Amino acid sequence: MSETRLRPPLRGKELVLAILRWILIIFFAVYTLFPLLWLLSSSLKTNFEFLTKSPFALPAVPQWQNYTNALSVAGLGRMLLNSVIVGLVATLVNVIIASMGAYCISRFRFRGRESIYTLFTAGILVPLSALMVPYFVIINKLGLYNTYGGMILLYCAIGIPMSTFLIRGLMDSIPMELEEAAYIDGCGFYGRFFHIILPLSRTGIVTAATFQFLTCWNEFIFANLIVSSEKLRTIQVGIRYFTNQFSTDYVSMYAAIVISIVPSIIGYVLFQEQIIAGMTSGAVKG
Amino acid sequence: MKKVFALLLALVMVFTLAPIAQPAHADGEIVINFPSIWVGTDSKAAYMSELIEKFNEENAGSIKVVVEEQTDYQAYRDKIRTTVTTGNTPDICILDTTFDIKAYAESGKFMDLTPYLEEGWGEDFADGAFDAWSVDGKVSILPFEAAVFTPIYNKDIFEAAGWDHFPATYEEFFQMAEDVKAAGYNVMGQMAGENGWSSMLWYSLIVEAIGGKDVYADGLENPAFVEAAEVLKKMYDYTFDGAVSAGAADVNGHFIARDTAIYLNGPWWIANFYKEDNAVDGKLLADSVEVATNPVYEGGLGEGGLVTTVQGFLAAGKQDDPAKEAAVVKFLQYLTDPEHVSELALSSGAMFFVKYTPAEETRPISQKVTEVANNAAFTILHVNGAFPTAFSTEFPSALAALINGDVDAQGFVDQLQEAIDMA
Amino acid sequence: MKPTSSDRRALAAFMAPAIAVMVIFFIIPILYVLVVSCLKWNGISAPQVVGLENFVKLLKNSTFQRSLKNNIIWALVAGFIQVPLAMVMAIILSRKPKGWKFFRTVYFFPQVISGIALATLWRAIYNAEHGMLNGLLSAIGLGSLTTDWLGNSGTAFPAVLIYWVFYVGYYMVIMMADITTIDTSYYEAATIDGATDFQQAIYITIPLIKKTSLLTCVTLASVMGLRQFEQVYMLTNGGPNHRTSTMVLYMYERLQSESYGLASATAVILIIVGVIFIITIRTLFNGRGETVKPKKARRAVK
Repeated sequence: MSETRLRPPLRGKELVLAILRWILIIFFAVYTLFPLLWLLSSSLKTNFEFLTKSPFALPAVPQWQNYTNALSVAGLGRMLLNSVIVGLVATLVNVIIASMGAYCISRFRFRGRESIYTLFTAGILVPLSALMVPYFVIINKLGLYNTYGGMILLYCAIGIPMSTFLIRGLMDSIPMELEEAAYIDGCGFYGRFFHIILPLSRTGIVTAATFQFLTCWNEFIFANLIVSSEKLRTIQVGIRYFTNQFSTDYVSMYAAIVISIVPSIIGYVLFQEQIIAGMTSGAVKG
Repeated sequence: MKKVFALLLALVMVFTLAPIAQPAHADGEIVINFPSIWVGTDSKAAYMSELIEKFNEENAGSIKVVVEEQTDYQAYRDKIRTTVTTGNTPDICILDTTFDIKAYAESGKFMDLTPYLEEGWGEDFADGAFDAWSVDGKVSILPFEAAVFTPIYNKDIFEAAGWDHFPATYEEFFQMAEDVKAAGYNVMGQMAGENGWSSMLWYSLIVEAIGGKDVYADGLENPAFVEAAEVLKKMYDYTFDGAVSAGAADVNGHFIARDTAIYLNGPWWIANFYKEDNAVDGKLLADSVEVATNPVYEGGLGEGGLVTTVQGFLAAGKQDDPAKEAAVVKFLQYLTDPEHVSELALSSGAMFFVKYTPAEETRPISQKVTEVANNAAFTILHVNGAFPTAFSTEFPSALAALINGDVDAQGFVDQLQEAIDMA
Repeated sequence: MKPTSSDRRALAAFMAPAIAVMVIFFIIPILYVLVVSCLKWNGISAPQVVGLENFVKLLKNSTFQRSLKNNIIWALVAGFIQVPLAMVMAIILSRKPKGWKFFRTVYFFPQVISGIALATLWRAIYNAEHGMLNGLLSAIGLGSLTTDWLGNSGTAFPAVLIYWVFYVGYYMVIMMADITTIDTSYYEAATIDGATDFQQAIYITIPLIKKTSLLTCVTLASVMGLRQFEQVYMLTNGGPNHRTSTMVLYMYERLQSESYGLASATAVILIIVGVIFIITIRTLFNGRGETVKPKKARRAVK
């Protein structure tokens, strides 16, 4: 959209629309910022304040030691690092495998294609907590219990159906003619994938990658199940030190949660330009 | 079709026999893995880690206990269930009453500790501690951490309401409740949110008061359960607003805020009465509270009884290697040594099935609770401990149904029974 | 297109990793779940084969029925209220009002805030004693409407559903990215013809994202609705009296009660319902004839 677009002065109906628009924009901003501010405020209270005063009152005196508590008890630094490593690698491998698979399913007619796709679809719906026993056994049989490799493989795998679904959706919308033209020009399978389809499906790939990374970042059940060493624990395991049913240190829990989300927020803010650019770079201005 | 299914069933069974390849122990050192929830912010964490460190030092080169820190109860249970199901029972683990202890004891996946207990180790434990949990006279799952549930009340609030003692009967209890309410306080904290914990404890107390020692003998058939549900419903008139959706933080917060007269929870909570954080104008909560006993129910059979539970069992996975078995037993005996348990009790405030001399510096409230426990004519488990897990899963729902008027007291009990039958 | 012979080898190589993952991490485990769904098994004692009894038990069980119904409502609300809301915001922000980058970032935040934090906040807002909602109602003279929002049988499920509907950031970002790829000359032409912003949205933007990001978001949101667990688990644990229960929560409770057969049967039903949902949505979006997609046709690759 051109920045210098001329607009006629707003009249009647349009003025109402403009006001409505700003009401919506502000409403959603307040709605989404509020949890963050509330979380910060709660993380700076004393437990007594938290338990006995209104949850929306501000802390009388900011209790920064809640953060030192959270960091010292749980050793969150190492866990953050583990989460970043596992999340990034699993996401990278995941989108590579998924975009290759999605390309085949989206662009070629071959036997079993539809049944494969239905299977992928079913995979999106599987409630993973039902699979604790088989996943535990599979990871063990592969010799990957208590390793980064086990976590990365499992996370990468459980996200494959969703990523394939997201990327395929985008690839389906790329016109066949483009690829056919390239084919006639002598462009091979790999050439078409890397030079035509992949760049045009960046939107889907980035969507899938974001989703996949957040899944990895927030996953807890398997992070606890297939790992036993403290050296490999992820951040979600760490914040449970404070959220378990016998813990009464609520404010340190909030501090731990803040610590656990800061990297994601910083990451998002820093990389969002790249992410968005990735999402839109398939477009070519007319 | 049948053949295919049989084949698939065999596949499932393969999943149950999939032990992790254990790393060979270097230099003959035996490694014992111990996934433990007594870590992090748990009150037993500090002393447990000290104890394990000491044990490892004393046995350096021959035995090493490696603790796998477990931070979340639900996830811990998931992991234990999964490891046991797949034939990877940990060398040592902690169980609680949410596990089907009988089925676990019968499974043959745990080490039979009977011979060691008979050699004298068993005398360290309270009399009859194993009775409820042994199978065919064999003990493989040791009750270790105990909990007793007895009301604790705020003397200042009682005084403000014109009461100088805790009611001895439930009739008197509700008179007191009227007075406390009239004085502008909540009488107690109830909760039907989360797992319904506080209300589950109150229900257990009332069930005990009405039905007495053998109330669980006929399952939920005993009329005490319906009558107790009516009493519990009445108690909801005397709790804070929004108890149907409330959780543990709400109940605890109200008692700490000094606007609620009575508190009911396990002994692990006693430490919070002494926390400076919870003092108001320099007065510790401990200085305002007094330990009471469960009131007597008119016409009930429960006089002198006490509600208890096993908060933690110790169990050890079955071992093929006799050397390792000996090492595991050595560690268990070290852990349950009366001297160590005494220290553990002092530092955490928790209670144990091991017979120990309490340290002199034990906090007064803990001492009084112990006294209540020692004076009990008999004990029963809390309802969650006495019934299968399906009961405790359904409890908060059935309770909300009762309080919101979806069902009557009989319907409440029926709903719980259905949940048990379903599983 | 039909693969040529040289394509075939490449095709096999490209599919292989995905297929391997699917076999190991989905086909075998799903077979496992299917078998266990026909057993009465506590995971430790010997299992008993009971055939389809678990399914019969489930379909007759009122808690399961309620969970299923809740999930279907949830999926529909997610797909047909939450996503359209997200779309409206995507259209508004893609016209680049003042501070749009800031808002785009802020709207995404709830996605990275852990579920526990969101749940505890909303517990506090809905709280009967000192909750914000009751405070607000009392302040504007509607004190008679105050209630224990999460404990009242009538309000609990709507309360759990509604707060969450307004967290639209993720879907909004997906659709915004798609909208920015639309050729601006469409809007320029429309503006010259005197079309309002509203008309442009209806006649240009929505048709152009319908089969791409809109379809993706509707499917994604419905799937998330069907898989809903964390929010109800932490906000209400399914209470009061299962009013807010969902299938995954129901399944999790069966696992906790060591009823592996019932838990697996629940998983099987969930998968079936989900596949039906996804296929229906796909048909809904693609069914009514092929629309021309000028946007894509205009994309050229240098």
